[in-house]
Amino acid sequence: MDGSRRQFIGTAAGLAALAYLPRAKGQDTPAGTMSNESVKAGKVPAMQWHSERPLTGSVPAHEHDFDVTPSDRMFVRNNLLTPSIDPTRHRISIKGLVEKELEFSLEDFKASFAPLTIQGMLECAGSGRSNYKPAASGTPWLGTGGMGCPVWTGARLRDVLNIAGVKPGALHVAGQGGDFGALATVAPVIRSIPLTKAMEARTLVAWEMNGRPLPTVHGFPLRLVVPGWVGSASTKWLHTLTVLDAPFKGTYMDSSYRMPRTPVQPGEKMPADTVSAEAWPIKSMITYPAPNARLRLGEQVLVSGRAWIGEGDVSRVDVSTDNGRSWTSARLSAREDKYAWRKFTFPFLPDAPGPQTFIARAWDTRGNAQPEVPAWNPLGYFWNGWHKVEVVVGA
Amino acid sequence: MGLRVFAVLITLFSSAVFSQDKLISGPGATLTENKCKICHELQHIRRSPLSRGEWADNLRNMKERGTPMTEAEMAVILDYLAAYYNREKPAPAPSPDTLVSADPMQQLLDRNACSGCHALDKRVVGPSFREIAARYAAENKSVLSLAKKVREGGKGAWGPVPMPANTTVSEADARTLVGWILKQR
Repeated sequence: MDGSRRQFIGTAAGLAALAYLPRAKGQDTPAGTMSNESVKAGKVPAMQWHSERPLTGSVPAHEHDFDVTPSDRMFVRNNLLTPSIDPTRHRISIKGLVEKELEFSLEDFKASFAPLTIQGMLECAGSGRSNYKPAASGTPWLGTGGMGCPVWTGARLRDVLNIAGVKPGALHVAGQGGDFGALATVAPVIRSIPLTKAMEARTLVAWEMNGRPLPTVHGFPLRLVVPGWVGSASTKWLHTLTVLDAPFKGTYMDSSYRMPRTPVQPGEKMPADTVSAEAWPIKSMITYPAPNARLRLGEQVLVSGRAWIGEGDVSRVDVSTDNGRSWTSARLSAREDKYAWRKFTFPFLPDAPGPQTFIARAWDTRGNAQPEVPAWNPLGYFWNGWHKVEVVVGA
Repeated sequence: MGLRVFAVLITLFSSAVFSQDKLISGPGATLTENKCKICHELQHIRRSPLSRGEWADNLRNMKERGTPMTEAEMAVILDYLAAYYNREKPAPAPSPDTLVSADPMQQLLDRNACSGCHALDKRVVGPSFREIAARYAAENKSVLSLAKKVREGGKGAWGPVPMPANTTVSEADARTLVGWILKQR
């Protein structure tokens, strides 16, 4: 096992080195990558960019008032550079604990499996991190943002694994993508998911987002889609799947995406006993009206939002118009797809001029509600605190 | 003409923004900036002061992710971060970086992040300056052609790891650096 893991890394370093070609004169974009400017050109102006290196960005909650997240509003979260991959030369291989190691060209891969289209949530583990006090280390994601719910088309990962034949003892499946860093010493981003999630009917090796080939920054030509789970599980620019007898051992498994098993005090160091960050807990946000919107006295508005959970289901969403003193259930739309977010609506009649606050709080079917402030953790993951929007009612 | 002036202004503006990505001046600030800036902006440090223990974890994580730094360099960076970006105590007043070499050539190497990948007499990521000097003096390469290579990058001369382009190094600095490197035999 150790031998095959080493080989895995070796291949990664080789590919990263191959991906480097001399740069064109005067350009600041390494060969084989897409520039940040080109990525940004494919996004709405409302996208807020949190860092340039690595590139990360998202739209605020009130720009998320869509049942299906349009591609130009989907959040961007890279660990390394944005690779620009030639689809005619791209290969995907399946190896490790399988009866038969396989390699496909992109065209062969798409032709070999019955495509499935799903709608599914992806959300960065650190989404909402900037709400944590004291500040936790990492990308300063907004209070909301860093998530989206597009439509994905691709092969079921389980169909791919079944063709290769999973051997007894298999426990995890690792995905590796073709992104590379500023130096050849930069470790490849490799994450693994438990075999049970890999075999779930909606875990995909996707080639389309919203009915179009994946945009470059979202993983063209192939990516994993592990809906409901932290975004890092959904490896972009996927070229290798490795079936393992244990979670992959590497920095992106062992030192990142870890949560204390039991809560720690704010500001405390990561304890020794940790668990891997997997499915998102219950969460919701208000997508309409926008903060500081002006409402008219006596004119009804339909407060709207989205609610979701990584595994399980949303049971209800409550809205408070009096700063959390009382709560009323909002209308919740039907469940369209297992991992899709659901819309909630709440009619409100402004009856007094002045500031007005809306707070949303979702519940899951196991009886968990969003906390007002979730437990602090050193890497600032899984923020699912109440979303509050303040508006003004004019006379 | 208007467009050209605009392009020059944009270039000046971006290099100004780039050079403003700094940490509080103090012992170890230059080394910290050079190592961290290889992969990410320094705002990630400025926005979230951590405890010393968390910085130690964070540095180990970055080393795992591939930052070329020695244990000794990590110790300097940890002391710096735990002093100037510590959430548990206020930062001391800015002071000169006493750990920066007094040697102007070493300062030039540090400022242009050469030291991230190269050292005088051992391989770090790229070849040592002594190896470079020995080979290119034998091949009679010109300072100008090597300075171009510093700025535009190269591949294949020293194995599979490419030399990235260094567009922020000025032509004059590149020539000074190459002149000095070629003397290190």
